[in-house]
Amino acid sequence: MDLALWTAKTGLDAQNTQMAVIANNLSNSNTTGYKASRAAFQDLMYQNVQQVGAQSTQNTQYSTGLSLGTGVHIAQTEKNYSQGSVLQTSGVLDLSVTGTGFFQITMPDGSLAYTRDGSFSMDSSGNIVNASGYPISPAITIPITAQSVTVGSDGTVSITTAGAPKPTTLGQVQLANFINPEGLQPTGNNLLVESASSGAPQVGTAGTNGLGTITQGSLETSNVNTVTELVNMIECQRAYEMNSKAISTTDQMLQYLTTNLS
Amino acid sequence: MDRGLYVAMTGAKQIMQAQAVNNNNIANVNTAGFRSDTFSFASLPIYGPGYPTRVNAVAADSGTNLSSGVLGSTSRSLDVAINGRGFIAVQAPDGTEAYTRAGDLQVSDSGAITTTGSLPVLSETGPLVIPPSTQVTVGSDGTVSIVPLGLKPSAQSQVDRIKLVNPPAKNLQKGADGLLRLKGGGKAPTDENVTLVSGMLESSNVNAAQSLVNMIELQRLYEFQIKSINSTDTNEQAAERLMLASS
Repeated sequence: MDLALWTAKTGLDAQNTQMAVIANNLSNSNTTGYKASRAAFQDLMYQNVQQVGAQSTQNTQYSTGLSLGTGVHIAQTEKNYSQGSVLQTSGVLDLSVTGTGFFQITMPDGSLAYTRDGSFSMDSSGNIVNASGYPISPAITIPITAQSVTVGSDGTVSITTAGAPKPTTLGQVQLANFINPEGLQPTGNNLLVESASSGAPQVGTAGTNGLGTITQGSLETSNVNTVTELVNMIECQRAYEMNSKAISTTDQMLQYLTTNLS
Repeated sequence: MDRGLYVAMTGAKQIMQAQAVNNNNIANVNTAGFRSDTFSFASLPIYGPGYPTRVNAVAADSGTNLSSGVLGSTSRSLDVAINGRGFIAVQAPDGTEAYTRAGDLQVSDSGAITTTGSLPVLSETGPLVIPPSTQVTVGSDGTVSIVPLGLKPSAQSQVDRIKLVNPPAKNLQKGADGLLRLKGGGKAPTDENVTLVSGMLESSNVNAAQSLVNMIELQRLYEFQIKSINSTDTNEQAAERLMLASS
């Protein structure tokens, strides 16, 4: 069928995908540690009907060619790793990272996942776990005798126990960073996993080597800017309507052809 | 057969092609850095004996409208937009140097700075690669500076500079991959006057209202052509009837 129809159809497809990305951002506007995604559009192949610079006669050349574009597609979705605002919760194991770096989570299969969501809690054995119950890496276990738990800005976890004048250090929450955090693969449940394009994790102590610092008693909110998303949504809707109009116009042209030349 | 039929048919065919170009522009209304395509017709007189009364319309060339799009703030440090005229040099998959206005840059796992289509961004000396770093900043002249991994922010160091060019528009053509290249190949020289704005992205330069009006115009023109085909057909039929009646 005609190129004009299919070209406009790719526009509808791409705007539809963008709407899905916007809807996902909006639905996660209250998700702790969520990073907004953005759909990146790219034009599709061009059909070269007449090569630029080809000889129009023996002595002359076409100054411009004739190439017909075939539409648009969404090349990738990019996560925006800007800092979300920090919400004070006073939860003992609510941690937030100010700056770069991800908490490391040990998955049930033993692999590591990464997250900015620092809403940790304790399981029945005293292990520090995330909301899905997966333990933090390196694992830290808080004994039942602990009276208070303190997490320092460098991730040091210490407790005080009855009768002991000095706090006991249990371990340290470490942060991981990537050369290309946008290459991390989101897997849901606020978790991201390493991919070929993210590079290997660089693990270190919070506050050193350019890693951010940890704040106890606070959570990082989603960095979705709802106003931006709503404006994007309007833009997306109008672009969708225009592509739909392009399809109906092309259809009318073809219809005119079939009704008048029959 | 009357050649008028073929003249009108050629017109209708070319108008449909122009509509495809216009639809492609509309489809790319949200593509960052996209430059809209234009379409033009040329007159091709029919050669041969007789009066030169019939002139076909043929698609002559398509050009690219290089006017700027609108800059929108994204507050992402690796989003760069070109302020005014100019292009970012990238390496196309075939190894040639190509130019784009799409400035949503990424860092690959090997440290290469790439565009959305994973094309390496070029510096004066080749693909721009940065060492492992915690923070990447692009300056207004394309200078890329980083804080190396494991060092304090005070260890900020300059790595390389993105190649920015500004060849004359008449020397540029859009390739099959949507990238602009110099006609006849070759590399454009670096232009010191091209500047970047960090944290911004340039939108597509497709004018939505203009495209919709073009679409209506093309539709009506198409209908004119079909109408001419129809009229020529009616004329032929009338002539045929006359012949039948007289026999």
